[in-house]
Amino acid sequence: METIFVLLPLALLIAAIAAGFFVWAATSGQFDDLETPPVRILFDDEVPRVAAPPTAPVAASRSIQQ
Amino acid sequence: MNAFADVSPATVAPSCAHCGLPVPRHLVHEAEPQQFCCAGCRQVFTLIGEWNFGQYYRLLDQQRALTPAKVSGRSFEDLDDASAQAAATESAGGERRKTRLYLEGVHCAACVWLVEKLPAVLPGVDEVRLHLGTAVAEVTWHPAHTRLSTVARALDRLGYTPHLYQASHLREMRRVEDRAMLARLGVAAACAMNLMFVSGALYAGESTGMAAAYQTFFRWFSLIISVPVVAFAAKPFFQTAIGGLRAGTIHLDAPIALGITVGMSASAFNVIRGHGPLWFDSLTMLIAALLAARQLQRSAQRTALERADSLRSVAFVEFARRLDPRHPGEPAVEVPISALGAGDRVEIRSGELIPVDGVVMSGSSTLDNAVLTGESLPVPVAQGDQVFAGATNLGARVVVRVDAIGSRTRVGALLRIVDDALQKKPALLAVTDTLSRRFVTALLMISASLLVVLWSQRGPEVALSRVVALLVVSCPCALGLSVPLAMSVALMRAARAGIFVKNPDAFERLRHVGTVCLDKTGTLTQGRPTVAQWHGDEATLEMARALESQSAHAVARAFQQAGGALRLVRVVEQVAETAGAGIAGRLDGHDVRVGHRAHLSSAGVEIPQSFDRQAQAFLDAGLSPVFVSIDGRAVGLAGVGDALRADSRQTVDALRARGWQVCILSGDHPRLVAQMGEALGLPAGGVHGGLTPEAKRDAVTALKARADRSGAVVMVGDGINDAAALASADVGIAVHGGSGATIVAADVVFARDGVRPVLELLDGARRLRGIVARNIGFALLYNAAASTLAIAGLVAPLMAAVLMPASSLVVVGASTFTPTFKAPTTRRLRPAERS
Repeated sequence: METIFVLLPLALLIAAIAAGFFVWAATSGQFDDLETPPVRILFDDEVPRVAAPPTAPVAASRSIQQ
Repeated sequence: MNAFADVSPATVAPSCAHCGLPVPRHLVHEAEPQQFCCAGCRQVFTLIGEWNFGQYYRLLDQQRALTPAKVSGRSFEDLDDASAQAAATESAGGERRKTRLYLEGVHCAACVWLVEKLPAVLPGVDEVRLHLGTAVAEVTWHPAHTRLSTVARALDRLGYTPHLYQASHLREMRRVEDRAMLARLGVAAACAMNLMFVSGALYAGESTGMAAAYQTFFRWFSLIISVPVVAFAAKPFFQTAIGGLRAGTIHLDAPIALGITVGMSASAFNVIRGHGPLWFDSLTMLIAALLAARQLQRSAQRTALERADSLRSVAFVEFARRLDPRHPGEPAVEVPISALGAGDRVEIRSGELIPVDGVVMSGSSTLDNAVLTGESLPVPVAQGDQVFAGATNLGARVVVRVDAIGSRTRVGALLRIVDDALQKKPALLAVTDTLSRRFVTALLMISASLLVVLWSQRGPEVALSRVVALLVVSCPCALGLSVPLAMSVALMRAARAGIFVKNPDAFERLRHVGTVCLDKTGTLTQGRPTVAQWHGDEATLEMARALESQSAHAVARAFQQAGGALRLVRVVEQVAETAGAGIAGRLDGHDVRVGHRAHLSSAGVEIPQSFDRQAQAFLDAGLSPVFVSIDGRAVGLAGVGDALRADSRQTVDALRARGWQVCILSGDHPRLVAQMGEALGLPAGGVHGGLTPEAKRDAVTALKARADRSGAVVMVGDGINDAAALASADVGIAVHGGSGATIVAADVVFARDGVRPVLELLDGARRLRGIVARNIGFALLYNAAASTLAIAGLVAPLMAAVLMPASSLVVVGASTFTPTFKAPTTRRLRPAERS
């Protein structure tokens, strides 16, 4: 039963670390947006481009600048 | 009378490959694999294909509301101006810049995917992050490799018209504070829950016996856990309580801070001396619950404010097309308005807002002055005429010489009046704050007398412990929870129903039934010409609409907006428009003419007498008659004018049934306003036309100052000319599609068409007040009961730990589950209906 004298402060230490992480996450803005991250995770990984010529993106951007 | 019986009945219209809306029949190209409802959708679809972003269509939410893509086609050169970027751009390390853009037309997860894919096709763009809730995209880009206008054009061509998102200092502060509050809540909740375990062990030990060593250990342990709650999490309570006392008022936080201070110090003292009750668990739980409720209210309030801000950034014109006088042949360059100077020439195209005050140098057009003056009829302008910022150019392109920009324009002057009125608007004292003074006085008096009486009869030990118990248990937790919770639920529900409450005081100000003043043009009416009445059959109307869809004239727009999707006409050809007369064309082999009586009769169409009588009736009702002929026979007659909205009559009747006085304050011609008042069944005394913006404001202040006034004065409007009146009224409401000035001035902004939301706001506010009153009643009852028990010495820490959260839970339940605003019913297609 004496082990509680060790275990309880240990538990408190772990809880303090967790709370510290939460404070860090909250103050650095991790919880600012709660809507987009849950949908972003659903996007599939990139399908490999079907032999896109390397100039294609440049050409596309040029057409915007017209 | 079916003019074209040979046309096969409409089959199911194909749906647009981009947005899913049905495609008008005459836009269907059978040879093509995809069909589009409009040029915007075709453009966006083509670009998505070109950039290999086809996955967008697989990600589309099938349940979303269907809206066609809108491409503004602007050059966005004005965004490259350093002064324009300054407020929306910050450094992102090294050479890179980070800019926030608000995007129109963001609807679901697929938009997030598409927008965030931009770096793949735009060299120089590092990253794009889109916030789905606010539709604000954060673009990280290299100024050396790309320009912001290039990014903006790409977004525009994908159907998301971008606007610079001005980060105000206030908003930054709010965000930092929000984050700090969340951190406080997290710490308080973590400590409170951990304390529960330790306290549970202590309570169990009390009844079954516990070795003294363990008990001392556990008591010290709970003291240590409570320290961060008091020192860090509960700081806001102490700050507001002290701030309130300095200002000579007693805020609701004062009794809370008092309870926390007394309870915590008594418990700490008991830990140190080794015996006596501990209140740590109830108090930390109380702090966590109060912080949670306030966090909810903050986030609901912030959402409403940010949505209103976004509407505003769309409503204000940010750019002008400047012409270089030395090179008259050169196309206009888009520049930010702040970069213009007096004497510059700017070009205003058809359908655009006029960005400056000035004089027309070349071109002639008609202007819609509705938002400026309330006039519903378009005003013709030609060379030498004065024009004002805020009007809409309905006709052809005009060139204007700049006389004044920004705050020196007439709109700018009106905005100063608005600012003035807003500053004079007194903040409302919260219900809980008016209560807390009496509450604290009563509490202190009871505690003092209890202390004196018990000290003399039972000694200091009993007296002090009971007073502490009293102060802890009567800490106004339920009272502190009731208002923020009910408010946040109401704000969120209202926002979902398209009602953004910028100033929650509006709910309280609507308490007393009073007067609702309504603007006419754009509020009670559509604010633009529509086909108000139609004499003829549906098929004819659709022929006329298909023909008019080829024109940009104001009457043509009226036809285009009449009714639903076009689905009958297949081919429109040989269209010929005669200025000032009408339009003619061949539709599916039929000759169709739409226009003035003379436009038809000059082509040999005979107009029956019944049509002339009907035309006269339209004229009497303030509508212009427009004749329609098919194959040389007059078959339709439209009354075109600024018609009442579908829900206006109903809303006005419902308001009057609820006891509200209804009056109309309009800048339009008094005769037209009187007609409208009659149509709505209003007494002539409450219908005022021909008012200037200042006269509108004075009318509102006069109503407020009336000696027999008991009720609230509510102003509902949409135009710049209403803004000053909105700011002066007890509650100002900006209807959907209003100008930027009204969104600044109003307490409540609607994101849904029509005036019906006014009723919902009134009803929602009434229900909210009911919930708040009930909650406060319950909270006071609880406090009375708990104090009685504490005075009798029956409250031990365990009892407080059960009683206090229980009372809070009742309030939480009552606030959350009573409906205030109904969810909207939007028209959505089921997946099966989409191809």
